[in-house]
Amino acid sequence: MFIRVTNCLWLLTLLFVFPPQKPKPTFEEVSPATSKITWTHDNAQSPDRQLPETVGAGCAFLDYDNDGWMDIYLVNSGPSDFFTPSAPLKNALYRNNHDGTFTDVTDKAGVAGGKFGMGVAAADYDGDGNIDLYVTNYGSNILYRNNGNGTFTDVTDKAGVTAPGWSTCATWFDYDNDAKLDLFVSSFVFYDKSQNPLCTDPTLKQRYYCVPRLFKPQPSRLFHNNGDGTFRDVSRESGIADSPGKSFGAVATDVNNDGLMDLFVANDTMPNFLFLNKGGGKFEEIGLAAGVAYGEAGRPRSGMGVDAADVDGDGWQDLFVANIDQEFFSLYHNDKELIFTDQPGEIAPATQLLSGWGLKFFDYDNDGDPDLFLVNGHPDDMIESRVPRVRHKEPLLLFENTGRGFKDVSASSGPVFTKMFSGRGMALGDFDNDGDADVLTSNNGEPPLLLRNQGGNRNNWIGLQLIATKSNPAAVGARITWAAGTLKRSRLKTGGGSYLSSHDPREILGVGSATKIDYVEIRWPSGKIDKLTNPPLNTYIKVLEGSGIKK
Amino acid sequence: MKKNSTNSHKKAHKTQKIFLLCLLSLLCLFVIPARAQSPDVVQAFEQVAALIRDDRLAEAEKELTKVLRLQPDLPVALNLMGSLRAKQGRLAEAESLFLRAVQGDKNFTGARMNLVYLYLLKRAPDEAIGQLSEVLALEPENLDAKVLLGDAYLAKNDLQKAEENYLAALDNKLDNAGALFGLAQISRVKGETREVAIYLNRVGTLITSSTSTDFLYKFALEAMQVGLFDEAKSALERAVGLKPREPSYLLALGIAWLRKTDLFEAEKIFRRVLLLEPNNAQAQLHLGYVLLNQKKYAEARTWLEKSARTSAAIPEVFYYLGLVAQEQNDDAGAIVLFEKAVRQLPSYPHARIALGSSYMKLKNYVRARQELETAVKLDPDEPTAHYNLALLYARIKEHERAKEELRIIDQLKAKGASNNGVVVLPPKSNP
Repeated sequence: MFIRVTNCLWLLTLLFVFPPQKPKPTFEEVSPATSKITWTHDNAQSPDRQLPETVGAGCAFLDYDNDGWMDIYLVNSGPSDFFTPSAPLKNALYRNNHDGTFTDVTDKAGVAGGKFGMGVAAADYDGDGNIDLYVTNYGSNILYRNNGNGTFTDVTDKAGVTAPGWSTCATWFDYDNDAKLDLFVSSFVFYDKSQNPLCTDPTLKQRYYCVPRLFKPQPSRLFHNNGDGTFRDVSRESGIADSPGKSFGAVATDVNNDGLMDLFVANDTMPNFLFLNKGGGKFEEIGLAAGVAYGEAGRPRSGMGVDAADVDGDGWQDLFVANIDQEFFSLYHNDKELIFTDQPGEIAPATQLLSGWGLKFFDYDNDGDPDLFLVNGHPDDMIESRVPRVRHKEPLLLFENTGRGFKDVSASSGPVFTKMFSGRGMALGDFDNDGDADVLTSNNGEPPLLLRNQGGNRNNWIGLQLIATKSNPAAVGARITWAAGTLKRSRLKTGGGSYLSSHDPREILGVGSATKIDYVEIRWPSGKIDKLTNPPLNTYIKVLEGSGIKK
Repeated sequence: MKKNSTNSHKKAHKTQKIFLLCLLSLLCLFVIPARAQSPDVVQAFEQVAALIRDDRLAEAEKELTKVLRLQPDLPVALNLMGSLRAKQGRLAEAESLFLRAVQGDKNFTGARMNLVYLYLLKRAPDEAIGQLSEVLALEPENLDAKVLLGDAYLAKNDLQKAEENYLAALDNKLDNAGALFGLAQISRVKGETREVAIYLNRVGTLITSSTSTDFLYKFALEAMQVGLFDEAKSALERAVGLKPREPSYLLALGIAWLRKTDLFEAEKIFRRVLLLEPNNAQAQLHLGYVLLNQKKYAEARTWLEKSARTSAAIPEVFYYLGLVAQEQNDDAGAIVLFEKAVRQLPSYPHARIALGSSYMKLKNYVRARQELETAVKLDPDEPTAHYNLALLYARIKEHERAKEELRIIDQLKAKGASNNGVVVLPPKSNP
């Protein structure tokens, strides 16, 4: 009896000292049979291996019908100067049925695209409370204005955002803090079907996709929102057009904490750009001096996906760029004074053979700090016959922020991480509204992949939907600070990020095992501050700028 | 200075090793002239030769001692005993035994050929030539002797006579790998890189089924010198297949993979070397280097530090350790290591670039500039130096100079400067 009691006491002591660990969240594949998302990307692959075939396409989480549930938009290829589809191809809008299934409402909504699609950026550009869609294409782009009744209208020409050529990523942000969303559109290379040189080698006896190094760069575009449904192309006067690039991913963030949103833009086979917002509508490209333009030895790399977040909680935005195999991905730590140091840690060896596109920092386990999800795939479908160990289809990767760096937790995060994909786009959104961020990826020539976060909500959280009144409608640039006991965190609401994709605009703030949130403070781009004391836990709330929680 | 003496010592050691391997592979050919011996005696000597070949030296010596006690001047036994001593590294005794064998039988070409190998190893080409003249007088069509005569003249730097003998061995046919290899070496001395590659390419096709591991190894080293990494790799893979536990072959194979910038294969091979020889400083250095390039910094540091402890640390070790420190954000520590590398080798441009880079990170722009400008003077074609200078100029707002440095990088790229960003810098050590 004595022995038994002693053992029990010992066990109790152990439980007290080492409380049982919560199982880590996993990502579970939601099959098309379950989700009813049957759409597949057609990459239009041809024997001529036209370059646009291999770089698309993107995807988005958006709430187009304002029902509080994330819908899905997927971008497809379409007719172009080098491609005539044998059957019509279209983009797809899937309405969330609130039960884990989706319904294709593309035709009813009128957002089928009909061009050789690349990416998508969703935001309420006109401030009418409805999320609009900007679709980038090889050819020219489309702005779909949300009519508020489940339909959209193509207002591209009227708005003045056609952007002919080859556009890739689009990013909504407010560069001049006038409370209206402006639009940055990445331009890739100058291309038409006559520009496709013969890239092959004698052993293959067929073409492969040419390296973008062979093509001429193009300046990206910046459109200023006039507030009347039209935009003005300010690419030249802002200084953006002074730097022609071969641009893919872009993220709007504030690298020097001056309240002005800057732009970090990945370039393929060219130095990346860091456009520092100088105020007065001017940008200065400082990538070289900042140390984010080149790889080692001054070698430009093949930048594709990008994102920004304060990964170490020092109050300064760090940057991430994914490159092609053998180039390593870069995590640029912000050393302040506009200087960055590449400190990828464990991410570098894990990505040495991978080519990264969609990626996003987000708190998958709601412990309060940003983790990292990477979507990979080699652009050359014949790479395996030319380069040992490099695969065409590649795995997804998940890195957990340990507070001392990033740890690869892919192997323990679900069977989907053992599968291979031609990954491209990646969007983030809580499609089942359970308080943890789910993932949508778009794959080149393959169906999309919807991943449900299972267990991220085992930690406590609060979800914010920010409703601006004086700031830009997406609240890009808002700084959110929250505290729960000893945990204190801060997050800047960035614009864009990832690759060709657009995300759930809500913010989920993780607090770990804390059972009470002391406060949440939102410093809006307008300068207004809303402080919410003891807000509710494990639910979404709406926060109205200047008024706090909206009932 | 220390580095040079260490290297030359290692080189001599390796050459000796190669010689011994050569000698042993030829033993079968030369040790047992069948004439004047009964079948039983021939069989007995064949068994002794087999024992020597299998490194069962004590047993072989016991048998030979028995024979020599009865017949102290028996040439075949003396020749075998000489081979045994050579394998033990007792070269003076070996020479004496071979000479006694030749004195006992002037026509014993096998013993003379063993002497030739010995003299070539001792860098005594004149003595080798003397013996080879005798061999060729006895056997005018002995192709091996002609090739060795070429080797002897090559050792004397008499390129013309060396070439004559190699060509004589070829006899208008292109099937003598040894002669072609000799011609490749002559072309290398003359700086005729294209010809070297042509000869070695042909040698490569002739040795695909060679069982002479030493020749495969020598060929591979020569092939790597002219960038024939695939050929070198094939030869070394064959040599390793024949002798899987020979660290020098494995080390060379790892370096061949490294030259092909396949870090993964190189890593595997260096780990194999270290399983066989855990204290092999070269393998430790190379593995550390590979891991550094794979950005596996913690493990890279472990191996590099072991390498530094195992042998006299060469500047590269400090440079690589500095890079690890730099990547782990310890620039003050990195500076100490780079300074050590620069003290050992002031003309080491990469160490100076890294030093400049660390000073730049610590915002000591004056020192950074000094080191980077020195690096550019040391190696004007190194893009990394120009890149870091560009970075520096951009940070101190000298934008035009920054652009100029970037222009230089573009020009270097157009000239084909190596700058793939994966391999920081190949170690200067040779396998």
